[in-house]
Amino acid sequence: MSASPALTNKQDVCVHIQNVSHSFGVEGQPKHVRALLDTTMDIHRGELLALIGPSGCGKSTLLNVIGGILNPTTGTASVNGKSVDGPMPHDIAYVFQENALFPWNTIIENIRLGMLFQGVPKADHEGRAREALQAVGLSEFADHYPAQLSGGMRQRAALARALSLDTPVVLMDEPFGALDEQTRMVLGEDLSALLSRTGKTIIFVTHSLGEAVFLADRIAVFTARPGRIKEVIPVEEPHPRKASFMTSDKFNGLRNRLFDLLHDEIRKTVSLTSGSSGGF
Amino acid sequence: MKSRSTIKGLMKRHPRLSQLVIVALCLVMWEVAARFFVDKMFLSPPSRVYGEIGRVLGTKGLTQALTLTLYEVSVAFVMAVAIGMIVGLSVGLNDFARRCFMPIILLLYGIPQIVILPLFILGLGIGPPSKIAFGVTHGIFPIILAIVAGVQGLKPVLLISARSMGASRWHILRYVVLPHMLPSFFSGMRLGMTGVLLGVLLAELYVSTAGIGYFTGLFTQNFDPTRLLGLISILAALAIALNEFMRMVERRFSRWRGND
Amino acid sequence: MSAPVKATLSADQHERRLSRLVQLGFVASLALLWYLATNVWGMSPLLLPKPQNAFEELLDILRSGEFWPDLLLTLGELAGAFAISMTLGLAIGFMVSLSPVFVRIFEPLLAGVYAVPIILFLPLYVLFFGLGASSKIALGATISFFPIVLNTIAGFISVDKLYVTAAKSMGASPTVLLRHVLIPGALPIILSGLRMGFTVALLSIIGSETIASLSGLGHRIVNLAESLEIARMFAYIVFVIAIAATLNSMVSRLEASRSLDK
Repeated sequence: MSASPALTNKQDVCVHIQNVSHSFGVEGQPKHVRALLDTTMDIHRGELLALIGPSGCGKSTLLNVIGGILNPTTGTASVNGKSVDGPMPHDIAYVFQENALFPWNTIIENIRLGMLFQGVPKADHEGRAREALQAVGLSEFADHYPAQLSGGMRQRAALARALSLDTPVVLMDEPFGALDEQTRMVLGEDLSALLSRTGKTIIFVTHSLGEAVFLADRIAVFTARPGRIKEVIPVEEPHPRKASFMTSDKFNGLRNRLFDLLHDEIRKTVSLTSGSSGGF
Repeated sequence: MKSRSTIKGLMKRHPRLSQLVIVALCLVMWEVAARFFVDKMFLSPPSRVYGEIGRVLGTKGLTQALTLTLYEVSVAFVMAVAIGMIVGLSVGLNDFARRCFMPIILLLYGIPQIVILPLFILGLGIGPPSKIAFGVTHGIFPIILAIVAGVQGLKPVLLISARSMGASRWHILRYVVLPHMLPSFFSGMRLGMTGVLLGVLLAELYVSTAGIGYFTGLFTQNFDPTRLLGLISILAALAIALNEFMRMVERRFSRWRGND
Repeated sequence: MSAPVKATLSADQHERRLSRLVQLGFVASLALLWYLATNVWGMSPLLLPKPQNAFEELLDILRSGEFWPDLLLTLGELAGAFAISMTLGLAIGFMVSLSPVFVRIFEPLLAGVYAVPIILFLPLYVLFFGLGASSKIALGATISFFPIVLNTIAGFISVDKLYVTAAKSMGASPTVLLRHVLIPGALPIILSGLRMGFTVALLSIIGSETIASLSGLGHRIVNLAESLEIARMFAYIVFVIAIAATLNSMVSRLEASRSLDK
């Protein structure tokens, strides 16, 4: 595969974010929270962008604004040149942090249901569902219910559902957040291999420095609340990335740099939360 | 001590069998008591009750009374489910409505309804309408509560995820809200069925001039425990069968919750 | 800082006040409907008495004290039934809970019988015990036995085995274990079983008084219905509902305070 598309294809903007700010609650009331402050950014086609920052810094908020789940207080987002004002099922697929599979449907039913919602012709459902399951390695579990699978397998299934929708953009909100370290590592590797084949634009939120470095082409580091993008760090390493990348000096260097950037911000949030005890 | 532990071992290995043995023991005790110790004006041995089920059903008008009761139960159940669903959905799907009306519904549910049974009879007569109505008022509350509870527990992320994939309102109702509430809907239906049965039977027993209540009264006054027990057994079997049927339906629709 | 706090509070209070208002409106319109139906639209007093007449009857009942014999009988039956079902339910429940084998065998049997509407046995009990108080006590005891025994079993087996092991390792004798580990651990569930038992005992006693009896509050209502003294019957219905609600809330409160102790 080619090297980081972010470098080769700078002109081709897929997701454009313009001066986006968002607050929760009504101004002047104690529940009012300014989550995201005046953020502007371009995400290129085929790029894998990681959003990282202290909790409550607005990275999930930004993701939800792009996904059309949340209307920002000010500013606009556009995807493929279309301005976002609601879910765009044909452009954007979502993988949520929590298990968002329908528990009453089997895995393959879940995938078919997504295509039904999106409006894919019925005749294509079966083939595309099988293909997506194959891609995440869950073919044998097509007829299991989510409750019968492990957390890692459930997130794979959610990923398969997102892939089957065949959207140019995939948004992932801490897709591996609830999983243990070992499972995250394996899933990360698989994801890297998978996504380098599909050429999709991916934006994903994560708490894990290693995950961000390992998967992303660029990493946007957020400040503490109200969140702004503090710095964008490029990771110039071709996909698919091997496990050996994780032990390289380059990996560690980037990881340490991220750590330094984040450390101050996380301190700020910790002192903030302990200062306003009772606010939560 | 040793024999006790071996019996316990047996019980441990064959719980089903032990249950059967216990039931059989109870029947034997009943049989012995009825044959040798209790006046036959008061108690009849199970063997005789079983043997005379045919004669019980042969009692003039009794099968009609049973059929009528079954009819009352079915109509009351359908009505309780229909009304309970409408009320449950309209109260459960709206936050404000729930806040306003749930306290009233719970208050009504807490009333010992039996005290208003005479009113039902006065208002609707001794025929099926009063019994159906009394069955409905007993069955409707568990159904409403189950539906309100069922509508509420839906994880928001499922709604968001459906919407992000382009689901229409109809899609969400059909593929998200409905399947989510099915299990609690069915357990509500089962509890509703228990309530309906209780209500109808209470009203049937209360009215002593017609229906089941007439026959229980008749058998009691004639000191005919064989036929009384026969009738009670038939009704109990009916209740158990209905309950088991509802349980089966419930299990069928909650498969995804368990591991089988 | 104080102004915005006040603002949110009042927003929330506003919601609450509004829902109270709707509730009041609902009850008031029912009362109004009752009044209009009987006083204006001329609904037969044989079906629905005028509210003011029912109220007068209620005052009369309370003033004359004629309810006392019926009330005392019903309460006496309730006490008898509950004493029996509590004793048997707790004892049998405890014995069953002693071994997981017993639990596996007896719990489904008891739960299975509980699925039958036990009111069906009322005619049988009337045959055995006659129309007097003993048939009511027997029925009340039977019906309330089941929630008590089932919750007692559930309560004892819910006690974390870790506590039992810990207590035993510290050398607790069986009595100490029971007194200080098992009973406190099982108490909340057992108490809720007792509350449920109390409620259904009350219901079934009033119910059997209504269906087959010579006296008691339930019977009084039936009598008034048969002699078509509808206003007075309404007054008695209100009276009995009030008594039942009071008893039930007393028991609930008792349960809540006991559960909190532990």
